[in-house]
Amino acid sequence: MSEFIEVENVSKTFKVSRRPAGIPGMIANLFAPKYEKKEAVKEVSFQIGQGEMLGFIGPNGAGKSTMIKMLSGILCPDKGSIRVGEFLPYRQRKKYVGNIGVVFGQKSQLQWDLPVQDSYELLRAIYAIPEDTYQKNLNQFIDMLNMGAFINQPVRQLSLGQRMRADIVASLLHSPKIVFFDEPTIGVDVVGKQVIRDFIKELNRKEQVTMIFTTHDMQDIEKTCERLIIIDQGSKMYDGSLQGIREKYGTTRQLDVEFNFECEIAPFHHVKVQPLKEEGHIKKRFIYEQGQVHINELMNHLLTHYSIRDINITEPDIDELICKIYGGEV
Amino acid sequence: MRLEPYLAYAKKSFLTRSAYRFDHLMGIVNILLRVFIYWEIYRTLYGGRTEVDGISMMMVTTNFVLSICMDAVFRVDDFFIPNKIRDGSIANELLRPINIQGRMVAENLGNALFELIFRFVPALLVSVLFVGVMKPASSIMFVLFVVSALLGYGVLWTISLVTQMLSFWLLNVWSIVTIKNVFINVLSGSMIPLWFMPEWMNGVIRFTPFSSIYFTPVQIYMGRLSYDEILSQCLIQIFWIVIVYAFGNFLWLKGQKKLVVQGG
Repeated sequence: MSEFIEVENVSKTFKVSRRPAGIPGMIANLFAPKYEKKEAVKEVSFQIGQGEMLGFIGPNGAGKSTMIKMLSGILCPDKGSIRVGEFLPYRQRKKYVGNIGVVFGQKSQLQWDLPVQDSYELLRAIYAIPEDTYQKNLNQFIDMLNMGAFINQPVRQLSLGQRMRADIVASLLHSPKIVFFDEPTIGVDVVGKQVIRDFIKELNRKEQVTMIFTTHDMQDIEKTCERLIIIDQGSKMYDGSLQGIREKYGTTRQLDVEFNFECEIAPFHHVKVQPLKEEGHIKKRFIYEQGQVHINELMNHLLTHYSIRDINITEPDIDELICKIYGGEV
Repeated sequence: MRLEPYLAYAKKSFLTRSAYRFDHLMGIVNILLRVFIYWEIYRTLYGGRTEVDGISMMMVTTNFVLSICMDAVFRVDDFFIPNKIRDGSIANELLRPINIQGRMVAENLGNALFELIFRFVPALLVSVLFVGVMKPASSIMFVLFVVSALLGYGVLWTISLVTQMLSFWLLNVWSIVTIKNVFINVLSGSMIPLWFMPEWMNGVIRFTPFSSIYFTPVQIYMGRLSYDEILSQCLIQIFWIVIVYAFGNFLWLKGQKKLVVQGG
């Protein structure tokens, strides 16, 4: 895969107003405004190949959206360089943006007062989309996203899920080579999310469109992306596959055991025991690291010494792992 | 430059205007109310005299009717950029492969066309029937009036551009826009014809762009300017457009560099 997007040592700093709360704060701010520098993105580098599907995740304020805005040419990086295909996004913004599509989950690009279809007509004119491409794309998208019912309704009367679908189509009509999705499933119900994910995946598979996401919903990533980059406080924390995170950070296992009788558990090396409170059941949780404890030894020990009704092993939830990475525990 | 996107934006804003029918009706009522209030005020001020300082009641009426009707057509959305910066949707604008200022002009013109057809014409008709307005001095003067009015719109637009661009630094430009509009109301001659201004005041106004918005076209309409004066006044209008636009565009280029996209 060729390197399509190249980001090298990019940094971006914002000036943030630090205003103390309340009226005294307001007056103080009037005479001597205080500003603080906030490094939204710090020395981030990565490469993305053509046709790749990549997820950016990170806690609120981690710098994901700033990264997307720099990649799409809206914001100018303070330091470092960004190259996308043959373009330098910020420098050649007007030429560049004709080749990309961007969906901001929180900012609609549709015309609030006009029917969805009218907004699309406007986009057709702006991007000079040939009539046949436009019709082909539009029909295909309306069909895939089930939009027939509301294509002629004014945007202000759409539900959030409908608006999001309409917005996604709006950013794809001109057949962009790269699409950025900034929280495309925010506030959308489970069914709606699934429709959007399937659609995005299908498009990536069929058209080889490069897609870059930001999201807080790990399921979005699990179901669509092969690769993810974790950003926290402006720095890159992880770059690799989801499976890689599991292998690297997800070695903890939980063994939940239900006993027939109340009993004292003798200490077992490297295993932490926690009682679980559940009405009518006697349950304990055994937590251990895969490399340190052999599961068959532990099981043997439990089965020979205690009377057991049920056993359940779980690997940690991906959300938990991500929480740990954010928290800097790993 | 492809014209198609800009025509599409003009069409869109024209259509958007028609989305709210009640608002549109109220708009006409609003213009007529202003016309009648001004008429009443000036009738009282004239107190039955036909002339004050050599200026007839008819001339005054023609001035404010034309100014108010032009004001209705000269639609500039002073908060187009400020609102987009405030809520962050400026991001979407920057993602379009078109010239944003061109787009602003296109939307404003689409709006203006709507106002021209559905407000200017009906309001002017009612004013002519009930208040009385002078006829244009001649058909040539009428054509020159239209040219000068377009240039006046250009001046108004570029002044708005500058105030809007300040929002890159100030975020909230409401007070500046209000001050700007007061200046336009008072110094452009739409509220008080510049004939009545004291000499020293006119001296000051001559060095501002405001009088070239409404007063120059109205003077041409009434045939109060010679061809030489018309030429020089129109050149002054063009001068202001160039100077004020250059400043606005400078702010625009600077502002983009320090843009902070609000909210997520």
